Amino acid sequence: MSNKYIGKAVKRVEDKRFITGKGKYTDDMILPGQTYAYIIRSPYAHAKVNSIDISHALSAEGVVAVFTGDDIAQSGINGVPAGWQVNFKNGDIMKEPPHPLLVGTGSTVKHVGDAVAVVIAESKEIAADAAEMVEIDYEVFDAVVNPADAVKEGAPLVHEAAPNNIAFDWEIGNPKAEVDEAIANSHHVTSLEFVNQRMIPNPIEPRSAIGLYEPSTDRYTLYTSTQNPHLIRLLMCAFVLGIPEHKVRVVGPDVGGGFGSKIFHYTEEALVTWCSKQIERPVKWTSERSEAFITDAHGRDHVTHAEMGFDKEGNVTALRIKTFANLGAYLSTFAPAVPTYLHGTLLQGLYTTPKIHLDMTCAFTHTNAVDAYRGAGRPEATYLLERLMDLAAHEMGIDPVELRMKNFIPPFDGVNQPGYQTQVALQYDSGNYQEVLKRGVAMLGYEEFRKAQAEAAQSNKLLGVGFSTYVEACGIAPSAVVGALGARAGLYEVGQVRVQPTGKVSVYTGAHSHGQGHETTFAQVVADKLGIPLEDVEIHHGDTETVAFGMGTYGSRSLAVGGSAIVKSLEKIIEKGAKIAAHKLEANVDDLTFADGKYTVNGTDKSVAFGDIALTAYIPHNYPAGLEPGLDFSSFYDPANFTYPFGCHIAVVEVDKETGKVSLKRFIAVDDVGNVINPMIVDGQIHGGLAQGIGQALLEGAIFDENGQLINGSYMDYCMPRADDLPMFELDRTETPCPHNPLGVKGAGEAGCIGSTPAVVNAVLDALWSGGFGHVKDILMPTTPERVWRAMNS
Amino acid sequence: MQLTGSHTLAAPIEKVWQMLMDTDILAKIVPGVSRLEKTGENQFEAISEIKLGPVSGKFSGGLTLSDIIAPSTFTLNVSQNSKIGNADASIKINLVAVDAQQTEISFDGDAKLSGLLARTGQRVLSGVANTLTKQFFSNFEEEIAS
Repeated sequence: MSNKYIGKAVKRVEDKRFITGKGKYTDDMILPGQTYAYIIRSPYAHAKVNSIDISHALSAEGVVAVFTGDDIAQSGINGVPAGWQVNFKNGDIMKEPPHPLLVGTGSTVKHVGDAVAVVIAESKEIAADAAEMVEIDYEVFDAVVNPADAVKEGAPLVHEAAPNNIAFDWEIGNPKAEVDEAIANSHHVTSLEFVNQRMIPNPIEPRSAIGLYEPSTDRYTLYTSTQNPHLIRLLMCAFVLGIPEHKVRVVGPDVGGGFGSKIFHYTEEALVTWCSKQIERPVKWTSERSEAFITDAHGRDHVTHAEMGFDKEGNVTALRIKTFANLGAYLSTFAPAVPTYLHGTLLQGLYTTPKIHLDMTCAFTHTNAVDAYRGAGRPEATYLLERLMDLAAHEMGIDPVELRMKNFIPPFDGVNQPGYQTQVALQYDSGNYQEVLKRGVAMLGYEEFRKAQAEAAQSNKLLGVGFSTYVEACGIAPSAVVGALGARAGLYEVGQVRVQPTGKVSVYTGAHSHGQGHETTFAQVVADKLGIPLEDVEIHHGDTETVAFGMGTYGSRSLAVGGSAIVKSLEKIIEKGAKIAAHKLEANVDDLTFADGKYTVNGTDKSVAFGDIALTAYIPHNYPAGLEPGLDFSSFYDPANFTYPFGCHIAVVEVDKETGKVSLKRFIAVDDVGNVINPMIVDGQIHGGLAQGIGQALLEGAIFDENGQLINGSYMDYCMPRADDLPMFELDRTETPCPHNPLGVKGAGEAGCIGSTPAVVNAVLDALWSGGFGHVKDILMPTTPERVWRAMNS
Repeated sequence: MQLTGSHTLAAPIEKVWQMLMDTDILAKIVPGVSRLEKTGENQFEAISEIKLGPVSGKFSGGLTLSDIIAPSTFTLNVSQNSKIGNADASIKINLVAVDAQQTEISFDGDAKLSGLLARTGQRVLSGVANTLTKQFFSNFEEEIAS
């Protein structure tokens, strides 16, 4: 163990290739004999495919093959399944109609972008041109896009197997009757109906996949822009294509951002793999940007009615929620878990609320699938709680900071004080919520702000401050716990440390980096634990051929779970190294200390360097009797609990009374993500998360018309946040270690996106309240100038 | 998308009616139409090229006329397909004689767009529709004058 790298802002080792444009993404690969797939997609949200005529396209020069859903069905392929099972309240299994790779003749397409046929040609252009020659006759039906409308009697049906479009209903918390009673007996009830709008993840690299079948060995390789290659391999082999898993290699090379949208097993991955077998040539498909808008899984999309009860002193007495969650047309891999186990379980927030009940209805609609998007269910929980908190403070005439302080769970470190048992299944590991809010308020200069706000209230530029405090569950996840909750996979992680004979170290992790900087952070941990230079460590990931079965990256899990697996292997290396060192030093293992890269006999200057131990392990001429040669260990780490980062986000906005335009003036974030390995990378993760969370509050949101057409499906109309929409972020952090993993880390990937959205919307409302518009309870996100202006002028 | 508009043309109602029912003339005055062929009684096949803001495409498909009451009204049903999406519209057209030499033509309808057309063209659609309407009427006027 040394202390050279952990906790230091080490520059990212991967940046050399990324910044110089040398990253190697799936679409950069050109395999010998490669063909190009163009997928023909439904322009309608709900229509029956009456006929498909591929004859003209097939005879076009350069076209290799054209396949339809009928071809797929003939090979006995059903479609892509979900990876998580949630049951109805009455115990029935959720409705899980398969997601076909291509919709066949006589079947119905269920969203704009549903795949109907694939043209494979010698070039992308030939494939696209030939696709125009495929004639498809559709019979168009009415569509439904809103989850609350979808479950009403008489709404157009997405799947015949799912009456009233209900995939499942679900509840969590205390018995409903108890919560009803607590609400009825409350001194004050704050009630809010709102929409958490649909978000489009928009990673910078559109999805891409290459299927490669080699007849000589009967082996397949799938290169794909994925966050978890092993899970893709398992789902595709065992549940979609029915091919033996040991004959398939899945590689997720450099991946340009995922934000959750690249976790899932998409139909295109199975499609190119299947096609490559049919034509015995590699088949590449790369999504166009416009195609990404209608085929990537989206996020959020909740319609909610929430009520929070308070006693006379302002203590929360109960929380009652009814939400309709949109799952889109098909169940994506994680979709059932997001509005349930990743959402309902976080409704305790940071408060001591004694009674909580969530009634959730998850609906199918004629839109693309909705699944995890940065934060996945937890931003929706935080948005709900924190909007209610600021609104309740406003309604009751209590300061929003005071109201939170009054209701916070007291500090607990999970060691001297036990973890906190919530009303909604989870047990928080450690937290000090008062401290982050105290720091945030100090950074804001709260008293001065309120004075400035009072002055501004007389002008046309109103000032507002919004608070948001959050706790989230990440480090996903203890396998037994999630198994009991319906996960169809374990959520441990694997980490292999292979010390080479020269003492250089190759590490293989089941986590996957697509922007998180694992190649740096993980190397910092390994270098310090072994006391060797950072340059002597290389992190490998993303290839099922080299890495043991791992679970990938999502839910801010990589360091907490993947890093812990590596630490376990490092401990085994150090322990075995000690035996070799004891032999070389002619000492007792118990008398050795390993520090700064060498084993030293206690109380002497006799020592042996780690590099010597490595060489001896592979050239075991003079070696301990009975000890295996080699220095190479693999470990699986299954966490004891989730980890629970928390924090406080504060937004200051200016609202133009005449135009309704909101300008974000300041953004303060005090996050506690447990111990920090690389503060620069943590700051970067927070920055990115904040931009996405603020984007939801001010700018972004998918809009479907009543026919199911996405009408803002391009960057001309879908407004992503840009640098000039954002102020310089003011960051601070506290470090409350996670008590149950060896690094004490919690996870930082999603925090920024979870806390920020309600802070901004609360700030907009606070500005309006200060300007005499105290009656405004909600403004739909994104809070565009038009919506804000209308709120002030209605 | 709602499509509405009206315009007064300097021609008697019978003449306007006659021109509207003449495929060759219609092909000339409807903006973007490059081919219009009669395929049956009140049924036509059309090919057109239209630029809608950021997207442009070659459309083909059917046109049918229905509810015809000469010389005052008919409904135009359009179903056009293209690589960038499909457009389906039903437009009711009315003619009213202002006087012996002038006719007011008005239309009212609804168009449904799908695919890329709906995704990327929406923001500029009403502007494009207005431009096409203006072009149509000015082409009509030119045709009357010639």
